[in-house]
Amino acid sequence: MVEFLLFLVPASLVLIGALIVIFAQNPVHNAMGLVLTLISLAIIYITLNATFVAMVQMLVYAGAVMTLFLFVIMMIGVDKKEQSKESIKGQTLLVSGVLLVLISLLIYVAINSNFTWDLWFEAVQFDIEGTPQLIAGTLFTAWILPFEIISILLIVATTAAIALAYDTKKRKQHV
Amino acid sequence: MENLVLVPVFLPLVTAIFLFTQRNLIKESIVNIFTLSSSVISFLITSFIFITFTIEKFESYSVVLYQWTESPKIDFSFTLDGLSALMLLLVSGLSIFIQQFSTSYMSKDENYRKYFVYFNFFVFSMLVLVMSSNFLIMFLGWELVGLSSYLLISFWSSKTSASKAGNKAFILNRIGDFGFLVGLMFILNTFKSFDFQEVLHRANEIPVNTITVITLFLILGAFGKSAQFPLFSWLPDAMEGPTPASALIHAATMVTAGVFMLVRISPLLQYSETTSFVVLVIGLLTALISAFSAINQYDIKKVLAYSTISQLGFMFIAIGVGAYVAAVFHLLTHAFFKALLFLGAGAVIEALHHEQDIRNMGGLRKKMPLTAGMMGIGTLAISGIPPLAGFWSKDEILASIFSKGGIYLGFWALTLFAAVLTAFYMGRHWLLIFNSEPSKTIEDIHDAPRNMKVPLVVLGIFSIFIGFVNTPFFHGVEKLLHITLEEVEITHLPEGLTLVVLALISIGAGFAGLFLAYLIFSQNILQSKLFNNDGFKKLIKFIKEASFNVLYLNKIGNVIFVAGAKLFSKRVAVIIDSILIDGTVNLVANSFSKSAKITSSSQTGLVRNYVLYFGFFLIILVAVFIVTPLVGN
Amino acid sequence: MFEVTTDWYLSLAAVLFSIGFFGMMIRRNALIMFMCIELMLNAVNLTFIAASKHFGTIDGQVAVFFVLVVAAAEVVVGLAIIVSIFRKQSSASVDVLNLSRG
Repeated sequence: MVEFLLFLVPASLVLIGALIVIFAQNPVHNAMGLVLTLISLAIIYITLNATFVAMVQMLVYAGAVMTLFLFVIMMIGVDKKEQSKESIKGQTLLVSGVLLVLISLLIYVAINSNFTWDLWFEAVQFDIEGTPQLIAGTLFTAWILPFEIISILLIVATTAAIALAYDTKKRKQHV
Repeated sequence: MENLVLVPVFLPLVTAIFLFTQRNLIKESIVNIFTLSSSVISFLITSFIFITFTIEKFESYSVVLYQWTESPKIDFSFTLDGLSALMLLLVSGLSIFIQQFSTSYMSKDENYRKYFVYFNFFVFSMLVLVMSSNFLIMFLGWELVGLSSYLLISFWSSKTSASKAGNKAFILNRIGDFGFLVGLMFILNTFKSFDFQEVLHRANEIPVNTITVITLFLILGAFGKSAQFPLFSWLPDAMEGPTPASALIHAATMVTAGVFMLVRISPLLQYSETTSFVVLVIGLLTALISAFSAINQYDIKKVLAYSTISQLGFMFIAIGVGAYVAAVFHLLTHAFFKALLFLGAGAVIEALHHEQDIRNMGGLRKKMPLTAGMMGIGTLAISGIPPLAGFWSKDEILASIFSKGGIYLGFWALTLFAAVLTAFYMGRHWLLIFNSEPSKTIEDIHDAPRNMKVPLVVLGIFSIFIGFVNTPFFHGVEKLLHITLEEVEITHLPEGLTLVVLALISIGAGFAGLFLAYLIFSQNILQSKLFNNDGFKKLIKFIKEASFNVLYLNKIGNVIFVAGAKLFSKRVAVIIDSILIDGTVNLVANSFSKSAKITSSSQTGLVRNYVLYFGFFLIILVAVFIVTPLVGN
Repeated sequence: MFEVTTDWYLSLAAVLFSIGFFGMMIRRNALIMFMCIELMLNAVNLTFIAASKHFGTIDGQVAVFFVLVVAAAEVVVGLAIIVSIFRKQSSASVDVLNLSRG
């Protein structure tokens, strides 16, 4: 029962947060909804024994990434309201069509499989602890090449961000 | 020591490359120093090689530069044997005198340096051809000769006729080369080797029919290169090139390549009677047609061109009857007197300020005595007047045909007739240029300058005496070729009285032709009352027309090949090209541009549209997973 | 009463992904669209963690780090693009941007 509640409560918080993200009109509210989703996900991660990933989720996503989002929101202002009228021809129709098909597909799958997923593999009986030692042991041995490549990606992204945000015109005027 | 052979072969190439790179070299005298000294050096080395070769009893040897392919084993190598030694000496020797003549003839030409680049390249090509030790290297030389002759013929490429003549020579040679190439493939397939030694020694193991097929394709190559019927029409057109270059093409290089190749493959050729017969018939046909064509040509060089074709026909006849030594001997003597005649013609053209029509010449004997004398020697030599060079070789060919007996007696008679024609048109040629009354006065005619005189005199002396290297009393050429033609059965001359009678007949033929020419063109016998009736005049006119138009062969060929091909290609152009091919291409192109226009409207540039597409494909993906429940299993 | 199996987590991930995708389609503000992308990425992360637990291997959790890094890089570049676009036309709407129209 406790186990069930431990899943149900954070899961519903995740969904509520996600709905706030897509429906709230004020960007700050959207961001707060996203924070709610991320923190609730971190709780789910803990129930799944992924404690270190949960901590990183809290620090990086809910901390650093969200700060960045809020920073940009503050920078470009929240006063401008989004136009409620759809400007692209036929978009509403197509969106509802896609959604309808997608949802009916999912419902079909859910009913057809009697609300169980055919995972092809039996779940293991033992639990693994997502400790930093275990993760690091795999990350720095078997995954070392992707690790190095992803570090290059980060450097490239940082450089790109600087190059994009650096306003050369304004800079020249000041000098 | 043996590697010394490489020097005369590659020295012309080095000279050519050196002259080619020296773009700033404008002074003619400096070009002369380089090109002449290189050819003199190569001639001296060649003489040295030849002398040692003679001392060592004509033992042949090979020089391997490197291995080209491992299996089948093909080496880039050269061989020195009697045949190649003779050709080596001939080519490098003649090239000196022709070059010396060229320094004067080509003087003041804006592409003076380029001429000598081509010239040396030509000599190099020919030497590669004659020194080759396998069929593939021979083919390499063969093609190089084709290329360099093209360059020399269309040397004055600003003239349309010159570049057309170059193209014609190149294309007609291509037909022959095609045959040669097919022959090479057959050889590789049959013998698994290209090496002359191996192929020619194993000739007796191969069925005669196979040899016939191989040699028939190979002689097609020889027909192209040596301007035999029906591939001969490029040679008269090749007169568009500089006259000394013509001398080189006609005398020592290029056209003799076909004869050389046939002698080289004579061990194969002797087994195939069919091929030999084809060679004989084509040679005879060529000799007759071109000799007939020569009697009413007006271009000073065209007469000589047809005479070359005719003399090559003689060589082919000799090969056809198996008299390979006689063929090589005629090649040797012909090289000297034809070079002499061409250089003499060059001197005349130069003196008359590039006038080539012999109707506008005449009476030049007094103004150009030396040239007239030397040309006279050449004329007598080619007509077969003893003791000049042409007599010995031509007589040997005629006697060889005669000794075969049977049906060959008919061929002998026809060849003799060709010899009479030869003497006749050469007599006409000389008389019209040097003897008869000048029909047009050209001022300030002077005899040839020193650089032209020396080659003329040297070649004149050779034309007189070169025949003595292979008389019935001293078989010089035969000894030289002894090892090369070891396994070949050579048709020998008849003995004793028969030979004397035959010699007398051929002398008679030569004199008859010359005397006829003297009567007609010096005494104007045709204008006398004796022949003053209409029928005869018509006959003469008909002969003149037919001769001038080369028996209308060019026109016939034009109608059959060119016009037919044009009609056919026009049809092809309209139906296949514009409708089928262009239609398909246009259809493809149009369908792409139309479909691109349609699909490009989906690229709205709006991010949310793209998200929609993403959604569509998400649905498809999910549907795929549902339909195939065990994907990835 | 209910045993919480891997199916539940996967279902949650599917729903979360669908919500994110739905948001992508209906919202025009570029910032919100980025948040929707974050939602979808987190749905993927959740499947990784759930699979890690299901199969008893740590690799699923390691993969999450890579998703995390890619997400961070994407947010950094994306937000920089939004800022520079906003400088030009003082709007964060993606509908006015159709420069790459075919």
